[in-house]
Amino acid sequence: MSDAREARLLLLGWNFRGASGPVRERIAFTTEEVREGLRRLLGKGLVSESVIVSTCHRSEIYGIAEGKGAGEELTRFISDWRGLEPDVLERAAFRRFGAEAARHLFRVAAGLDSMALGESEVLGQVRQALSIARETGSSRAVLHRLFESAVRAGKRVRTETEIGVHPLSIASIGVELANKVFGELAERTVLLLGAGETGTLFARHVLEAGVRNLKIANRTPEHAEHLASRIGAQAVPWETVARELPSADVVVGTTASPEPIVRRADVESAMRQRKGKAMFFLDLAMPPDIEPEVRGIYNVFAYDLDGLEEVAAENRRRRVREVPRVEEILEEELGRFLTWFGNLSVVPTVTDLKRRFEEIRDRELERLPAAERERVRPLADSIVAKLLHEPMRRLKNESDAARKLERLEAVRYLFDLDPD
Amino acid sequence: MHALGWVAVGLYAAAEAMAIRSLFRPKGLGAAPALVAAGLVAQFLDLQLVGRSLGSVPYRTLGGSIALFAWMLGLAYLALVLRHRERAIGPFLIPFVLAFSVLGVVLPSHAPSGPATRGSLFAFHVTLAILADAAFALSFVLSLLYLIQNRQIRRGRTGVLFSRLPALEVIGRMNRTSATIGIVVLTVSVALGVAWARRVWSGFTDAKLVWALLTLLVYGMMLWMDRRGWEGPRVALLSIFGFLLVLFSYTFVNLYLSQAHVFR
Repeated sequence: MSDAREARLLLLGWNFRGASGPVRERIAFTTEEVREGLRRLLGKGLVSESVIVSTCHRSEIYGIAEGKGAGEELTRFISDWRGLEPDVLERAAFRRFGAEAARHLFRVAAGLDSMALGESEVLGQVRQALSIARETGSSRAVLHRLFESAVRAGKRVRTETEIGVHPLSIASIGVELANKVFGELAERTVLLLGAGETGTLFARHVLEAGVRNLKIANRTPEHAEHLASRIGAQAVPWETVARELPSADVVVGTTASPEPIVRRADVESAMRQRKGKAMFFLDLAMPPDIEPEVRGIYNVFAYDLDGLEEVAAENRRRRVREVPRVEEILEEELGRFLTWFGNLSVVPTVTDLKRRFEEIRDRELERLPAAERERVRPLADSIVAKLLHEPMRRLKNESDAARKLERLEAVRYLFDLDPD
Repeated sequence: MHALGWVAVGLYAAAEAMAIRSLFRPKGLGAAPALVAAGLVAQFLDLQLVGRSLGSVPYRTLGGSIALFAWMLGLAYLALVLRHRERAIGPFLIPFVLAFSVLGVVLPSHAPSGPATRGSLFAFHVTLAILADAAFALSFVLSLLYLIQNRQIRRGRTGVLFSRLPALEVIGRMNRTSATIGIVVLTVSVALGVAWARRVWSGFTDAKLVWALLTLLVYGMMLWMDRRGWEGPRVALLSIFGFLLVLFSYTFVNLYLSQAHVFR
């Protein structure tokens, strides 16, 4: 493939699809290393512009390449810098050129290329990659425009589709369901049973969701106290769980107890004391911490792990269903960028082509005697003009931006317009 | 006649379409509130024209009273949307505004006005009764939404309706407000009606009065039980039952059971 000479926009990347964890870790750049990398890439003259996107799942180098073989040179550069065998890097890497490179970035920004389909964090990371490149002075007209277009596309995807709406994690789903029962969770009381790994994760999650009143009960009280003091919650004695029920709006079970801790009778009595105010139970434990019969009580909402997993699976399917709409938006925005990019390069291509034809004309005229030369010149001019006319017209009028790019690249290749 | 009334109907229909459309978009209220507002203006002007030809508020006729009811319901929708930014209510509430507006235009709105139906006491009595019915209609729609949302949450269906409909707590609160307004306004209306009837009629036992008291009883029970352990679907079902009584009073009682006490 002679990709490198045909495409001027180039992408070299390693992500979770092609590169193993250890390889990705070796390549991954810190913010400081991104700056250093950008400076070195430009300093070596490998690219005229560059932006590096580096997250835990991907390292991607976008560049505007001048000359042939920029892709190979980039790989060599990374292998020297990171001390990785070139063929190891090469096998784990992927390369994209021109419109394909741009399309990849748009997909990344929209969360289509993420492990958790549709996640939104990556959009911020793309935006940050651009701002680092701007500070370093390594992004200029084209990449600046490309990244801003990608960020705009990503934002549109957020507002116009549901790809990021339905949560995928069990804890987020639990919080979302509770939110739809109580409205605001901030003023509600959450009682957490268990201070182990799951309990700790969930505690952090509900605090992030704005819960102010979190009580933690654990069979070993020291663990509850330790966790409570660490995250700013309140520890309650294990023995008083049944007594805590009436004041708890949300109860979450995360213990390893072989027996249920919350019994139907306890909840019935709690509901009487609450005058029928809704209660919400999340059982993240296996075997269950909350008796399944609790579900039958009036105005009580109860979910177990299986139920939540089902919701997660359904939400994942919902996100997948949104993909065609997301892609429509991306193609629209991509088209806009490529139109701009295409316009950008018709003029230089036509100028280069004209110069190439005129060189040939002049060389041929040189071989004629001076008297003849002046007589033939008008004919030669007319042939050059006629030969140029149709290709120029067609390049200028090509409305499909991606095709225009391909044709421009083809013209540059066929007439050898890119000096090595 | 009623050209403006039909304009309002058209605007409400467009508003419904936009309200449904906005339900499937992640953000924004869409054009529905603006269209309803325009419909309200058109309907108000229509009611004014009818009123001018009658020489009073057009509540005495069946068509006029229903149009007025639709207008108040539309106003309630607008207030809810602007107050709570709640777009999920539109698709369920606007159809009622639309249906009653059509009835208001189609049903007769010219009745011979006897001396019995003049005076401000009477005007307040009827207007407040219609306002109360609008409040109960709102409570009815909110109760439907409550039941739908309750079902979505229980089944873990986190789809479009789930994400668009407000939390149960919020729907319940709006429902309580509507029912309370309905009860207060209907009570005042009944009191005014009784005072007025004493003057005009010589003693009466009226089916509509009995029905109004029954309605008050049901909504009163709904609010009472809401704080006594029935918070949840049961309260919503009571509200739906209450509105069925209101509809029955408007239709069956109005047409067949009550003699003097009707919209014509």
